Amino acid sequence: MFKTIGILIIFTAILLFQLPKLKQNGEKKEIWTFSILLFISTTLCIAVALKVKVPNPYDLIIVIFKPMGEFIKMAFK
Amino acid sequence: MGKEIISVRQFAIIVMLYSIGAAILILPATLTQVVKQDAWVVAVLGVLIGLLLVKFYITVGNISPKLSLVQLIEKVLGKYVGKIIVIFFLIFTYLSGTGLLYFLGDFMRTEVMPETPLVAFSGLFMIVIMFGTYLGIETFARSTEILFPVFFLLFIFFVVFISPQVDIEYLEPVLNSNPKSIINGILIFISEFAFPLVVMLMVFPVAINVPKSGTKGFYIGAIAGGIILITLITLCVLVLGPTDTAHRVFPSYAMAQRISIGNFIQRIEITMALLWIITLYVRIFFYFHVSVVGIAQILKLKNYRSLILPLGLSMVALSQMIHPDVIHQLKFNKEIWIPYSATFALLLPLVLLIVAKIRKIKSE
Repeated sequence: MFKTIGILIIFTAILLFQLPKLKQNGEKKEIWTFSILLFISTTLCIAVALKVKVPNPYDLIIVIFKPMGEFIKMAFK
Repeated sequence: MGKEIISVRQFAIIVMLYSIGAAILILPATLTQVVKQDAWVVAVLGVLIGLLLVKFYITVGNISPKLSLVQLIEKVLGKYVGKIIVIFFLIFTYLSGTGLLYFLGDFMRTEVMPETPLVAFSGLFMIVIMFGTYLGIETFARSTEILFPVFFLLFIFFVVFISPQVDIEYLEPVLNSNPKSIINGILIFISEFAFPLVVMLMVFPVAINVPKSGTKGFYIGAIAGGIILITLITLCVLVLGPTDTAHRVFPSYAMAQRISIGNFIQRIEITMALLWIITLYVRIFFYFHVSVVGIAQILKLKNYRSLILPLGLSMVALSQMIHPDVIHQLKFNKEIWIPYSATFALLLPLVLLIVAKIRKIKSE
Protein backbone atom coordinates (compact mmCIF):
# COMPACT_ATOMS: atom_id res chain seq x y z
CA MET A 1 0.00 0.00 0.00
CA PHE A 2 2.73 2.44 1.00
CA LYS A 3 4.67 1.48 -2.11
CA THR A 4 1.69 2.27 -4.32
CA ILE A 5 1.16 5.65 -2.65
CA GLY A 6 4.87 6.45 -2.94
CA ILE A 7 4.92 5.59 -6.64
CA LEU A 8 1.76 7.62 -7.25
CA ILE A 9 3.32 10.62 -5.49
CA ILE A 10 6.47 10.36 -7.64
CA PHE A 11 4.47 10.13 -10.86
CA THR A 12 2.16 12.99 -9.91
CA ALA A 13 5.27 15.07 -9.24
CA ILE A 14 6.60 14.19 -12.70
CA LEU A 15 3.25 15.08 -14.27
CA LEU A 16 3.07 18.43 -12.48
CA PHE A 17 6.69 19.16 -13.38
CA GLN A 18 6.49 18.26 -17.09
CA LEU A 19 2.97 19.13 -18.21
CA PRO A 20 3.13 22.94 -17.87
CA LYS A 21 6.35 23.00 -19.90
CA LEU A 22 4.80 20.84 -22.64
CA LYS A 23 1.62 22.94 -22.70
CA GLN A 24 3.72 26.08 -23.05
CA ASN A 25 5.38 24.69 -26.18
CA GLY A 26 1.95 23.72 -27.48
CA GLU A 27 3.06 20.37 -28.92
CA LYS A 28 -0.06 18.16 -29.07
CA LYS A 29 1.83 15.07 -30.16
CA GLU A 30 4.42 15.45 -27.43
CA ILE A 31 1.77 15.77 -24.73
CA TRP A 32 0.03 12.62 -25.96
CA THR A 33 3.23 10.54 -26.16
CA PHE A 34 4.30 11.72 -22.74
CA SER A 35 0.90 10.97 -21.16
CA ILE A 36 0.61 7.49 -22.68
CA LEU A 37 4.16 6.54 -21.71
CA LEU A 38 3.65 7.92 -18.20
CA PHE A 39 0.46 5.89 -17.82
CA ILE A 40 2.14 2.66 -18.94
CA SER A 41 5.11 3.39 -16.73
CA THR A 42 2.95 4.03 -13.63
CA THR A 43 1.01 0.80 -14.16
CA LEU A 44 4.19 -1.18 -14.65
CA CYS A 45 5.91 0.29 -11.59
CA ILE A 46 2.93 -0.41 -9.33
CA ALA A 47 2.52 -3.93 -10.71
CA VAL A 48 6.19 -4.73 -10.11
CA ALA A 49 6.14 -3.15 -6.64
CA LEU A 50 3.11 -5.25 -5.64
CA LYS A 51 4.72 -8.36 -7.16
CA VAL A 52 1.85 -8.90 -9.61
CA LYS A 53 2.81 -11.39 -12.31
CA VAL A 54 3.61 -9.23 -15.34
CA PRO A 55 4.42 -11.02 -18.63
CA ASN A 56 8.17 -10.98 -18.99
CA PRO A 57 9.36 -9.58 -22.36
CA TYR A 58 12.50 -11.68 -22.17
CA ASP A 59 10.41 -14.87 -22.11
CA LEU A 60 8.92 -13.91 -25.47
CA ILE A 61 12.41 -13.31 -26.88
CA ILE A 62 13.51 -16.67 -25.50
CA VAL A 63 10.56 -18.41 -27.21
CA ILE A 64 11.36 -16.73 -30.54
CA PHE A 65 15.10 -17.30 -30.60
CA LYS A 66 15.34 -20.62 -28.79
CA PRO A 67 15.37 -22.85 -31.92
CA MET A 68 18.19 -20.78 -33.42
CA GLY A 69 20.10 -20.83 -30.12
CA GLU A 70 19.74 -24.61 -29.81
CA PHE A 71 20.92 -24.97 -33.39
CA ILE A 72 24.08 -22.98 -32.65
CA LYS A 73 24.62 -25.00 -29.50
CA MET A 74 24.26 -28.31 -31.37
CA ALA A 75 26.37 -27.20 -34.32
CA PHE A 76 29.39 -26.35 -32.19
CA LYS A 77 29.22 -29.16 -29.64
CA MET B 1 15.66 19.64 -31.52
CA GLY B 2 19.01 21.40 -31.78
CA LYS B 3 21.61 19.33 -33.52
CA GLU B 4 24.16 17.89 -31.16
CA ILE B 5 27.72 17.41 -32.39
CA ILE B 6 30.57 15.46 -30.83
CA SER B 7 34.23 15.50 -31.80
CA VAL B 8 36.12 12.57 -33.31
CA ARG B 9 38.23 12.08 -30.19
CA GLN B 10 35.12 11.95 -28.00
CA PHE B 11 33.57 9.45 -30.41
CA ALA B 12 36.66 7.22 -30.25
CA ILE B 13 36.57 7.27 -26.44
CA ILE B 14 32.85 6.44 -26.41
CA VAL B 15 33.36 3.52 -28.82
CA MET B 16 36.19 2.20 -26.69
CA LEU B 17 34.39 2.36 -23.35
CA TYR B 18 31.17 1.12 -24.96
CA SER B 19 32.76 -1.93 -26.56
CA ILE B 20 34.37 -2.90 -23.25
CA GLY B 21 31.06 -2.35 -21.45
CA ALA B 22 29.47 -5.53 -20.20
CA ALA B 23 31.94 -7.74 -22.07
CA ILE B 24 34.57 -7.14 -19.38
CA LEU B 25 32.41 -8.93 -16.81
CA ILE B 26 30.69 -11.56 -18.95
CA LEU B 27 33.34 -12.72 -21.40
CA PRO B 28 36.15 -14.20 -19.27
CA ALA B 29 33.81 -16.78 -17.70
CA THR B 30 31.76 -17.66 -20.79
CA LEU B 31 34.83 -17.92 -23.03
CA THR B 32 36.81 -20.15 -20.68
CA GLN B 33 33.79 -22.42 -20.32
CA VAL B 34 33.96 -23.08 -24.06
CA VAL B 35 37.65 -22.97 -24.97
CA LYS B 36 39.45 -23.16 -21.57
CA GLN B 37 43.01 -21.81 -21.70
CA ASP B 38 42.71 -20.78 -25.36
CA ALA B 39 40.40 -17.89 -24.45
CA TRP B 40 43.09 -15.37 -25.40
CA VAL B 41 43.47 -16.84 -28.92
CA VAL B 42 39.72 -16.58 -29.38
CA ALA B 43 39.78 -12.99 -28.09
CA VAL B 44 42.49 -11.98 -30.58
CA LEU B 45 40.62 -13.60 -33.49
CA GLY B 46 37.37 -12.08 -32.24
CA VAL B 47 38.82 -8.56 -32.24
CA LEU B 48 40.07 -9.04 -35.83
CA ILE B 49 36.64 -10.20 -37.00
CA GLY B 50 35.11 -7.39 -34.95
CA LEU B 51 37.14 -4.87 -36.97
CA LEU B 52 35.68 -6.33 -40.18
CA LEU B 53 32.24 -5.78 -38.68
CA VAL B 54 33.19 -2.18 -37.86
CA LYS B 55 34.08 -1.73 -41.54
CA PHE B 56 30.68 -3.16 -42.43
CA TYR B 57 28.90 -0.74 -40.07
CA ILE B 58 30.84 2.18 -41.52
CA THR B 59 29.63 1.20 -45.00
CA VAL B 60 26.05 1.06 -43.72
CA GLY B 61 26.45 4.41 -41.97
CA ASN B 62 27.71 5.98 -45.20
CA ILE B 63 24.60 5.01 -47.20
CA SER B 64 23.26 8.36 -46.15
CA PRO B 65 25.61 10.28 -43.83
CA LYS B 66 23.02 12.90 -42.90
CA LEU B 67 20.61 10.43 -41.28
CA SER B 68 20.76 8.48 -38.04
CA LEU B 69 20.12 4.72 -38.08
CA VAL B 70 16.43 5.10 -37.20
CA GLN B 71 15.85 7.67 -39.96
CA LEU B 72 17.91 5.54 -42.36
CA ILE B 73 15.78 2.45 -41.74
CA GLU B 74 12.66 4.51 -42.35
CA LYS B 75 14.05 6.00 -45.55
CA VAL B 76 15.38 2.75 -47.01
CA LEU B 77 12.59 0.36 -46.05
CA GLY B 78 9.72 2.76 -46.56
CA LYS B 79 7.34 4.45 -44.18
CA TYR B 80 5.32 1.52 -42.83
CA VAL B 81 7.74 -1.43 -42.93
CA GLY B 82 10.48 0.89 -41.76
CA LYS B 83 8.50 2.06 -38.75
CA ILE B 84 7.75 -1.51 -37.65
CA ILE B 85 11.42 -2.51 -37.96
CA VAL B 86 12.43 0.62 -36.04
CA ILE B 87 10.05 -0.28 -33.22
CA PHE B 88 11.62 -3.75 -32.97
CA PHE B 89 15.08 -2.20 -33.01
CA LEU B 90 14.18 0.22 -30.23
CA ILE B 91 12.72 -2.61 -28.16
CA PHE B 92 16.05 -4.40 -28.67
CA THR B 93 18.10 -1.46 -27.39
CA TYR B 94 15.71 -0.73 -24.54
CA LEU B 95 15.61 -4.33 -23.30
CA SER B 96 19.39 -4.72 -23.66
CA GLY B 97 19.82 -1.64 -21.49
CA THR B 98 17.37 -3.10 -18.98
CA GLY B 99 19.31 -6.39 -18.94
CA LEU B 100 22.54 -4.55 -18.21
CA LEU B 101 20.86 -2.53 -15.45
CA TYR B 102 19.86 -5.83 -13.84
CA PHE B 103 23.39 -7.10 -14.39
CA LEU B 104 24.96 -4.12 -12.64
CA GLY B 105 22.54 -4.40 -9.71
CA ASP B 106 23.21 -8.13 -9.48
CA PHE B 107 26.97 -7.53 -9.44
CA MET B 108 26.68 -4.96 -6.63
CA ARG B 109 24.25 -7.17 -4.72
CA THR B 110 26.31 -10.36 -4.82
CA GLU B 111 29.81 -8.93 -4.49
CA VAL B 112 29.68 -5.57 -2.74
CA MET B 113 26.56 -4.92 -0.63
CA PRO B 114 24.67 -8.18 -0.04
CA GLU B 115 22.07 -6.64 2.29
CA THR B 116 20.84 -3.95 -0.08
CA PRO B 117 17.87 -4.72 -2.36
CA LEU B 118 18.37 -4.77 -6.12
CA VAL B 119 16.06 -1.82 -6.74
CA ALA B 120 18.35 0.54 -4.82
CA PHE B 121 21.23 0.00 -7.25
CA SER B 122 19.12 0.07 -10.41
CA GLY B 123 17.23 3.16 -9.22
CA LEU B 124 20.29 5.17 -8.22
CA PHE B 125 22.19 4.22 -11.34
CA MET B 126 19.21 5.06 -13.52
CA ILE B 127 18.98 8.54 -11.98
CA VAL B 128 22.52 9.27 -13.20
CA ILE B 129 21.70 7.92 -16.65
CA MET B 130 18.45 9.89 -16.91
CA PHE B 131 20.30 13.02 -15.84
CA GLY B 132 22.94 12.37 -18.50
CA THR B 133 20.30 11.83 -21.17
CA TYR B 134 18.54 15.02 -20.09
CA LEU B 135 21.74 17.02 -20.59
CA GLY B 136 22.28 15.49 -24.02
CA ILE B 137 24.97 13.59 -25.85
CA GLU B 138 27.40 16.52 -26.00
CA THR B 139 27.63 16.74 -22.23
CA PHE B 140 27.86 12.97 -22.04
CA ALA B 141 30.73 12.96 -24.53
CA ARG B 142 32.63 15.54 -22.48
CA SER B 143 32.06 13.51 -19.33
CA THR B 144 33.54 10.43 -21.00
CA GLU B 145 36.59 12.55 -21.79
CA ILE B 146 36.94 13.14 -18.04
CA LEU B 147 36.28 9.49 -17.18
CA PHE B 148 38.76 8.19 -19.74
CA PRO B 149 42.00 9.11 -17.85
CA VAL B 150 40.50 7.64 -14.65
CA PHE B 151 39.68 4.46 -16.51
CA PHE B 152 43.07 4.27 -18.16
CA LEU B 153 45.07 4.86 -14.96
CA LEU B 154 43.02 2.26 -13.08
CA PHE B 155 43.56 -0.21 -15.90
CA ILE B 156 47.36 0.35 -15.84
CA PHE B 157 47.40 -0.03 -12.03
CA PHE B 158 45.34 -3.19 -12.35
CA VAL B 159 47.73 -4.78 -14.85
CA VAL B 160 50.84 -3.75 -12.89
CA PHE B 161 49.51 -4.86 -9.50
CA ILE B 162 48.24 -8.21 -10.72
CA SER B 163 51.41 -9.06 -12.64
CA PRO B 164 53.22 -10.74 -9.67
CA GLN B 165 50.42 -13.32 -9.48
CA VAL B 166 50.75 -14.40 -13.09
CA ASP B 167 51.44 -18.07 -13.69
CA ILE B 168 52.38 -18.71 -17.30
CA GLU B 169 51.78 -22.47 -16.97
CA TYR B 170 48.02 -21.89 -17.00
CA LEU B 171 48.25 -21.15 -20.71
CA GLU B 172 49.58 -24.62 -21.58
CA PRO B 173 48.75 -26.53 -23.68
CA VAL B 174 48.24 -23.84 -26.29
CA LEU B 175 45.59 -24.42 -29.00
CA ASN B 176 44.36 -27.66 -27.52
CA SER B 177 40.65 -27.06 -28.19
CA ASN B 178 38.93 -28.33 -31.32
CA PRO B 179 38.13 -25.89 -34.13
CA LYS B 180 34.38 -26.13 -33.54
CA SER B 181 34.57 -24.78 -30.01
CA ILE B 182 36.99 -22.06 -31.17
CA ILE B 183 34.37 -20.88 -33.70
CA ASN B 184 31.76 -21.01 -30.95
CA GLY B 185 34.06 -18.93 -28.74
CA ILE B 186 34.56 -16.36 -31.50
CA LEU B 187 30.78 -16.11 -31.93
CA ILE B 188 30.34 -15.48 -28.20
CA PHE B 189 33.12 -12.90 -28.27
CA ILE B 190 31.85 -10.87 -31.20
CA SER B 191 28.25 -11.04 -29.97
CA GLU B 192 29.36 -9.14 -26.85
CA PHE B 193 32.09 -7.00 -28.36
CA ALA B 194 31.19 -6.12 -31.95
CA PHE B 195 27.45 -6.70 -32.43
CA PRO B 196 26.35 -3.98 -29.97
CA LEU B 197 28.45 -1.47 -31.93
CA VAL B 198 25.60 -1.31 -34.46
CA VAL B 199 23.93 1.08 -32.00
CA MET B 200 26.79 3.53 -32.69
CA LEU B 201 25.21 4.19 -36.11
CA MET B 202 22.77 6.47 -34.29
CA VAL B 203 25.60 9.02 -33.88
CA PHE B 204 27.91 7.91 -36.67
CA PRO B 205 28.33 9.81 -38.95
CA VAL B 206 25.37 12.13 -38.17
CA ALA B 207 26.59 13.74 -35.00
CA ILE B 208 30.34 13.83 -35.67
CA ASN B 209 31.99 17.14 -36.50
CA VAL B 210 34.36 15.72 -39.15
CA PRO B 211 32.61 12.63 -40.63
CA LYS B 212 35.70 11.66 -42.69
CA SER B 213 37.97 11.19 -39.69
CA GLY B 214 35.04 9.76 -37.73
CA THR B 215 35.81 6.52 -39.56
CA LYS B 216 39.30 6.58 -38.06
CA GLY B 217 37.82 7.26 -34.63
CA PHE B 218 35.56 4.23 -34.96
CA TYR B 219 38.52 1.96 -35.78
CA ILE B 220 40.76 3.42 -33.06
CA GLY B 221 38.05 3.06 -30.43
CA ALA B 222 37.30 -0.54 -31.40
CA ILE B 223 41.01 -1.49 -31.51
CA ALA B 224 41.71 0.12 -28.10
CA GLY B 225 38.67 -1.56 -26.57
CA GLY B 226 39.69 -4.87 -28.12
CA ILE B 227 43.22 -4.66 -26.75
CA ILE B 228 41.95 -3.94 -23.23
CA LEU B 229 39.53 -6.87 -23.46
CA ILE B 230 42.27 -9.23 -24.72
CA THR B 231 44.54 -8.13 -21.86
CA LEU B 232 41.89 -8.69 -19.21
CA ILE B 233 40.76 -12.07 -20.55
CA THR B 234 44.37 -13.25 -20.78
CA LEU B 235 45.11 -12.01 -17.25
CA CYS B 236 42.05 -13.83 -15.91
CA VAL B 237 43.32 -17.12 -17.34
CA LEU B 238 46.88 -16.40 -16.19
CA VAL B 239 45.96 -15.48 -12.62
CA LEU B 240 42.93 -17.63 -11.78
CA GLY B 241 43.51 -20.48 -14.20
CA PRO B 242 40.95 -21.65 -16.78
CA THR B 243 38.92 -23.85 -14.43
CA ASP B 244 38.52 -21.24 -11.72
CA THR B 245 37.68 -18.53 -14.25
CA ALA B 246 34.99 -20.69 -15.86
CA HIS B 247 33.26 -21.40 -12.55
CA ARG B 248 32.86 -17.83 -11.42
CA VAL B 249 30.13 -15.36 -12.34
CA PHE B 250 32.42 -12.32 -12.08
CA PRO B 251 35.97 -13.61 -12.65
CA SER B 252 37.57 -10.22 -13.21
CA TYR B 253 36.36 -9.13 -9.76
CA ALA B 254 37.73 -12.32 -8.21
CA MET B 255 41.02 -11.54 -9.94
CA ALA B 256 41.10 -8.04 -8.41
CA GLN B 257 40.64 -9.62 -4.99
CA ARG B 258 43.94 -11.47 -5.48
CA ILE B 259 45.92 -8.21 -5.68
CA SER B 260 48.43 -8.10 -2.85
CA ILE B 261 51.62 -6.07 -3.03
CA GLY B 262 53.95 -6.90 -0.13
CA ASN B 263 50.95 -7.64 2.11
CA PHE B 264 50.38 -3.88 2.10
CA ILE B 265 48.23 -2.93 -0.91
CA GLN B 266 45.32 -5.32 -0.52
CA ARG B 267 41.54 -5.43 -0.84
CA ILE B 268 41.45 -2.75 -3.50
CA GLU B 269 38.98 -4.67 -5.66
CA ILE B 270 36.22 -2.11 -5.22
CA THR B 271 38.47 0.60 -6.64
CA MET B 272 39.01 -1.70 -9.58
CA ALA B 273 35.26 -2.20 -9.84
CA LEU B 274 35.16 1.44 -11.00
CA LEU B 275 36.55 0.05 -14.27
CA TRP B 276 33.37 -1.79 -15.06
CA ILE B 277 31.04 0.69 -13.42
CA ILE B 278 32.39 3.39 -15.78
CA THR B 279 32.11 1.17 -18.86
CA LEU B 280 28.68 -0.16 -17.89
CA TYR B 281 27.56 3.44 -17.42
CA VAL B 282 28.62 4.29 -20.97
CA ARG B 283 26.87 1.23 -22.38
CA ILE B 284 23.57 1.57 -20.50
CA PHE B 285 23.55 5.30 -21.19
CA PHE B 286 23.93 4.65 -24.89
CA TYR B 287 21.22 2.03 -25.08
CA PHE B 288 18.85 4.31 -23.16
CA HIS B 289 19.76 7.42 -25.13
CA VAL B 290 19.20 5.60 -28.42
CA SER B 291 15.80 4.30 -27.31
CA VAL B 292 14.61 7.74 -26.19
CA VAL B 293 15.97 9.65 -29.18
CA GLY B 294 14.77 6.90 -31.53
CA ILE B 295 11.19 7.15 -30.28
CA ALA B 296 11.34 10.93 -30.65
CA GLN B 297 12.68 10.55 -34.20
CA ILE B 298 10.05 8.12 -35.49
CA LEU B 299 7.22 10.14 -33.95
CA LYS B 300 8.91 13.33 -35.28
CA LEU B 301 8.80 15.04 -31.89
CA LYS B 302 10.70 18.30 -31.52
CA ASN B 303 12.13 17.46 -28.12
CA TYR B 304 12.93 14.04 -26.66
CA ARG B 305 13.44 15.23 -23.09
CA SER B 306 9.85 14.74 -21.92
CA LEU B 307 10.12 10.99 -22.63
CA ILE B 308 13.10 10.45 -20.32
CA LEU B 309 11.35 10.17 -16.96
CA PRO B 310 8.56 7.73 -17.94
CA LEU B 311 10.90 5.50 -19.95
CA GLY B 312 13.63 5.61 -17.32
CA LEU B 313 11.34 4.67 -14.46
CA SER B 314 9.79 1.79 -16.36
CA MET B 315 13.32 0.60 -17.13
CA VAL B 316 13.99 0.40 -13.39
CA ALA B 317 10.72 -1.50 -12.91
CA LEU B 318 11.50 -3.89 -15.79
CA SER B 319 15.00 -4.55 -14.50
CA GLN B 320 13.42 -5.98 -11.35
CA MET B 321 11.50 -8.67 -13.19
CA ILE B 322 13.21 -9.61 -16.47
CA HIS B 323 15.48 -12.18 -14.86
CA PRO B 324 13.91 -14.10 -11.97
CA ASP B 325 17.34 -15.46 -11.00
CA VAL B 326 20.94 -15.50 -12.13
CA ILE B 327 20.59 -18.88 -13.89
CA HIS B 328 17.96 -17.37 -16.18
CA GLN B 329 20.35 -14.55 -17.02
CA LEU B 330 23.37 -16.78 -17.66
CA LYS B 331 21.29 -19.04 -19.87
CA PHE B 332 19.94 -16.04 -21.77
CA ASN B 333 23.44 -14.71 -22.34
CA LYS B 334 24.79 -18.05 -23.46
CA GLU B 335 22.05 -19.32 -25.75
CA ILE B 336 19.66 -16.57 -26.78
CA TRP B 337 21.87 -13.47 -26.96
CA ILE B 338 23.87 -14.63 -30.03
CA PRO B 339 20.92 -15.11 -32.46
CA TYR B 340 18.98 -12.24 -30.86
CA SER B 341 21.72 -9.64 -31.25
CA ALA B 342 22.77 -11.04 -34.65
CA THR B 343 19.28 -10.32 -35.98
CA PHE B 344 19.75 -6.62 -35.36
CA ALA B 345 23.51 -6.37 -35.78
CA LEU B 346 24.01 -8.55 -38.89
CA LEU B 347 20.69 -9.17 -40.61
CA LEU B 348 19.26 -5.66 -40.30
CA PRO B 349 22.34 -3.76 -41.67
CA LEU B 350 22.69 -6.38 -44.42
CA VAL B 351 19.06 -5.91 -45.48
CA LEU B 352 19.57 -2.14 -45.36
CA LEU B 353 22.64 -2.33 -47.60
CA ILE B 354 20.96 -4.61 -50.16
CA VAL B 355 17.71 -2.66 -50.31
CA ALA B 356 19.58 0.64 -50.56
CA LYS B 357 21.58 -0.82 -53.50
CA ILE B 358 18.41 -2.02 -55.24
CA ARG B 359 16.44 1.17 -54.65
CA LYS B 360 19.52 3.22 -55.59
CA ILE B 361 19.32 5.47 -52.55
CA LYS B 362 22.31 7.76 -52.82
CA SER B 363 23.95 9.91 -50.23
CA GLU B 364 23.26 13.49 -51.00
